[in-house]
Amino acid sequence: MLETMAKLHIIGHQSELDETLAVLHGLRSVHLIDVSDDATVPLPPLAVDEQHLQRIEDLRYLRARLGSVLALIPNLPEPDISIPEMTETNLDRMRGELNELAPRVEQLVRHIDDLTREQETLPRHVASLTKLLPLVPGLAQLHGYGTAVLLVESRHSSVLGELNVQLTEKLAGNFEIISDHVDTNTVGAVLVYPRDHSEEVASLLGREAISRVRLPRQYETMSFREAISAMKTRLADLPEEIASSQRELDVLVAAHADWAAVGSYLEQHLDQLGAIRHLGATAHTFVISGWVPERAADEIEKVVAARVGEKVIVERASVEEGEVPPVLMHNPAPARPFEFLVRLLAIPRYGSVDPTLLMGLFVPLFFGIMLGDVIYGAILLGLAVTASRYLRNRPSALRDLSRVFVLSASWAILWGVVYGEYLGDLGHRLVGIEPIWINREEALEPLLLFSLAIGAGHVTLGLLLGVWQSLKFHRRHETLERLMLLLTLGALFTLAAIAADFLPRSLVTPSFAAIVVATVVLMVLGGGMGLVMAPLEIIGLVGNVLSYLRIAALGVASVYLARVANELGAAAPLWLGILIASLFHALNLALGAFSPTVQALRLHYVEFFSKFYDEGGDEFRPFGGLDNRVAST
Amino acid sequence: MEGGLIEIGLGLKAGLLGIGAGFAVGLAAIGTGYAQGRIGSAGIGALTEKPELLGRVILLVAIPETLVILGFAVAAMIIILLGG
Repeated sequence: MLETMAKLHIIGHQSELDETLAVLHGLRSVHLIDVSDDATVPLPPLAVDEQHLQRIEDLRYLRARLGSVLALIPNLPEPDISIPEMTETNLDRMRGELNELAPRVEQLVRHIDDLTREQETLPRHVASLTKLLPLVPGLAQLHGYGTAVLLVESRHSSVLGELNVQLTEKLAGNFEIISDHVDTNTVGAVLVYPRDHSEEVASLLGREAISRVRLPRQYETMSFREAISAMKTRLADLPEEIASSQRELDVLVAAHADWAAVGSYLEQHLDQLGAIRHLGATAHTFVISGWVPERAADEIEKVVAARVGEKVIVERASVEEGEVPPVLMHNPAPARPFEFLVRLLAIPRYGSVDPTLLMGLFVPLFFGIMLGDVIYGAILLGLAVTASRYLRNRPSALRDLSRVFVLSASWAILWGVVYGEYLGDLGHRLVGIEPIWINREEALEPLLLFSLAIGAGHVTLGLLLGVWQSLKFHRRHETLERLMLLLTLGALFTLAAIAADFLPRSLVTPSFAAIVVATVVLMVLGGGMGLVMAPLEIIGLVGNVLSYLRIAALGVASVYLARVANELGAAAPLWLGILIASLFHALNLALGAFSPTVQALRLHYVEFFSKFYDEGGDEFRPFGGLDNRVAST
Repeated sequence: MEGGLIEIGLGLKAGLLGIGAGFAVGLAAIGTGYAQGRIGSAGIGALTEKPELLGRVILLVAIPETLVILGFAVAAMIIILLGG
């Protein structure tokens, strides 16, 4: 369902403006209307002076500065929103602290990062150099010579020969290059050259497809043996150095635990300062215009009166023609995860049908009918429950999706019992479990008819909702069009029932007459294009119902894939068979989770919604952010 | 040749019906795949610009699937009604 909205005007003396905005911000229930868009408030916007703009700029800078520091500090305590109001003096203190301490915090965090990186890279250098050390036993004593450690993939080892030729040309043979395999895929090489020729060597190595092992600067001038020894000493010292820097950072952060709270305060205060440009004003008063959920209007009135006082009044405002309130969905808790699926398409128009509840019923049902396997359903249910618990306190599309899967998987288990499917036909093979209703492997015909019946029912429900909605919005043309489509659908069902000998043949003529009448009316309603569009619309309607055959198609595909897994498993020796069957069942499960979800959504978005869904609403965005209380109570 | 078919228990009629049903689904699936490929690539392009269009893109990509479902319906009719 969509919340009924009420329009409020909050009028008061300008001396109470800050307090009023703070209260409304805390209530998180008022969607502000810009007075320039509100015909019921014939007042100019509140004048914003230079000082006000300057303050916004100052606070934005402070928020950005604080944000950059906070981003560097993980695990900061949750902000306590109820901190005392930040006065100008407090903000000045904050600025001073940030200017003084932020560079130190940044420096410490960077230092810890560098040390951690060093701790990760040094063991790799030690390993490389240790492997190369036997190649150059005499190098440790060479002075006036530089060394370059090179690693080349074995398949490109010919590049070392080319390097040898070019170095001979440039250094007149005054160098040594020694290479050997350091592992199966890599050839290590050590190049020894006079330090006077460092630049030439560097430029030559830069041109070749060789990765040069770059040692940290402090080890570059050392011999291999010295470097390995120095690196090992450094590795032993690093943990204490990291711990010491971390301790210093913790002390700094602990002394300023209110920074996160100040960040929250700044967000709130900037919101309030930004809201001022939406307000109307006279010389001494202000007017705030906003939408609130009807059920919250009285409470807002009471809270403002209690916390701000009599200088501010809250009154209900009339809604002018053409004014469209914002949309807030309000559904029972089990259906709420499906709001995200409705929003995925578009937000419904205010006052129209909210299909969330219906999606909450039909999407899992269709999923269950398509997948219909007890074991697959149980595995999905386990995964969905785990994901749902893990994401419990993190509002996100993923959390909603996991809850959708909890319901869908439950239906899959139920339909699995109906079809007698436990990993396809494995239940039947092993313990002879029989279906309660039909075996999908054999009974294709009843399954197809069942899918068509679901389609007919679902499309009819969509058309009925469409008729009700058109009547509500007084759209006569649309109402008649949908009634004619209903009539056509009814006549087609009758003809199908006659063909199956469920109804007498005497109804054939009235049924055809109904289809002709409906077609002619649709043509007239369609105007010039009606002649072409009306028959197309009727064909489309039949196509919509036939589209539900996918429920049967996916079900049959799923059960046959499961059977293939079982057959292949049975053909191999026991353990290999179990492994092969498990792999195929895992593949089928992945397909079984994905395809029925997409197809169930498609049946809703295309076949069902097209009969009634009225999109184009403006989302309810309350001042201060959406409060869970507003959305859920 | 005829004797061989009789030996494995399938008549020529059943074989032709099977081929016909296969064509009905297979050709429809090729058509659907072609359409979905074109729509999907355009949809991904749109999503990089506007991620909020995800729902609409799913919808557009899913629309041509009706073709293969109709192919499936024809195949099922061939097997059920003619194969009877």
